[in-house]
Amino acid sequence: MNCHEAIDRFDDFLDGRLDAVEVDDLQAHLAGCPSCAAELESIHELRDLAAELPRSLEPSRNLWPAIEARISEAKVVRGRFGRRALLAAAAAVVVVSSVVTAYFIGRSQAVVVTAQSPVVAESGPSEVLLASFKGLGVDDYMATRTELMNAFDARKHELSAETVNVVAENLLLIDQAMNKIAEALGEDPENEFLMKQLAGAYRRQIDLLRRAVRMPAEV
Amino acid sequence: MGTGISMGVETMATFPISNPVPPRAAMRVAGEPASREHLVDRAAGGDAEAFEELYRENVGRVYLLCLRMCGNPSTAEELAQEAFVRAWQKLGSFRGESAFSTWLHRVTVNIVLGNRRSTARREARVKPVGDELPVDLSVSEPSPGQAVDLERSIAALPDGARTVFVLHDVEGYRHKEIARLTGLAEGTSKAQLHRARRLLRKALTS
Repeated sequence: MNCHEAIDRFDDFLDGRLDAVEVDDLQAHLAGCPSCAAELESIHELRDLAAELPRSLEPSRNLWPAIEARISEAKVVRGRFGRRALLAAAAAVVVVSSVVTAYFIGRSQAVVVTAQSPVVAESGPSEVLLASFKGLGVDDYMATRTELMNAFDARKHELSAETVNVVAENLLLIDQAMNKIAEALGEDPENEFLMKQLAGAYRRQIDLLRRAVRMPAEV
Repeated sequence: MGTGISMGVETMATFPISNPVPPRAAMRVAGEPASREHLVDRAAGGDAEAFEELYRENVGRVYLLCLRMCGNPSTAEELAQEAFVRAWQKLGSFRGESAFSTWLHRVTVNIVLGNRRSTARREARVKPVGDELPVDLSVSEPSPGQAVDLERSIAALPDGARTVFVLHDVEGYRHKEIARLTGLAEGTSKAQLHRARRLLRKALTS
């Protein structure tokens, strides 16, 4: 076995894919070739280091809203539902996606929001929306929302005005988007797509509130 | 998003993801939890919520693979997003001969390589930008300093060498499989790996 043949077998050797005869041949070559032995040791170390690298890393922004918007477009193309309901749902999905994206961008880049502070606690979901939740098995929505809103209110003094504004603004926009989806559901009560979007929006709002409550103190 | 990525179906180079196999129900994957199988089935039936759960389970690995292969965080995010959209579109062809995460991994590799080809065709090469790698790679999993050095050195490798090194030494692909994915000859794949290791050793010891 020459050096080229030996080097060509290093990975199979390290992966345990050589048979006994091949292993013996390679080891015989290594015993008489310090250069190849050093090369094998070096490759072994590098592979070990590579194997210890992290396997997962969260991106700096939430990619799901944009993905969801695009896969929702694909649903529209499939044409399962009425045009008007779909347009309303698509608009609401875009709004929900945008606000969630805005929220995460706001958090990650510390964007200073100068918008007027929206009044969220006094708004909340409409009667139509609340009626829709009963059909989705999330009729505890208001209790959960109120509990989290109270917890968020109690923490406001620990958060910067910018953060409070970002959270409040996004909660309000999600409320508005949910109401639009619920209105579309009023026209097409059996629309499974709309129901899922509504339940998804519900989940996002609760998730946003939970994250807001868990935020580390800023002031 | 302004990264200049072209992912049109008409222009994307695609690679075979799976061979014809028996239906998923007749070929369960060992180690694939039933709940995840159920999620995949629901997503394949058009359930976006189920797909979102699959997204949340896999986004970290998909993003990191894209980041290591392209070397640029913003491009990696675009590619990861594209990979999930493509996976959604192709879920009907997933027959369960491997774990969903393994299948998704291959979809992602195809997306990254396809983007590189279309980018090269436009002569607008995506350059590896080592300085843009997150300095806090250790945030998600504790990592020794040498591993962070290795991440940066990988990002600085030439495209071809980086691709083969990531696929072979980090992700565990074999040369035969890399050759099929990339269109390279197996010998070229081996040569690129040798080159990558040589450059990395030099970078790590300098």
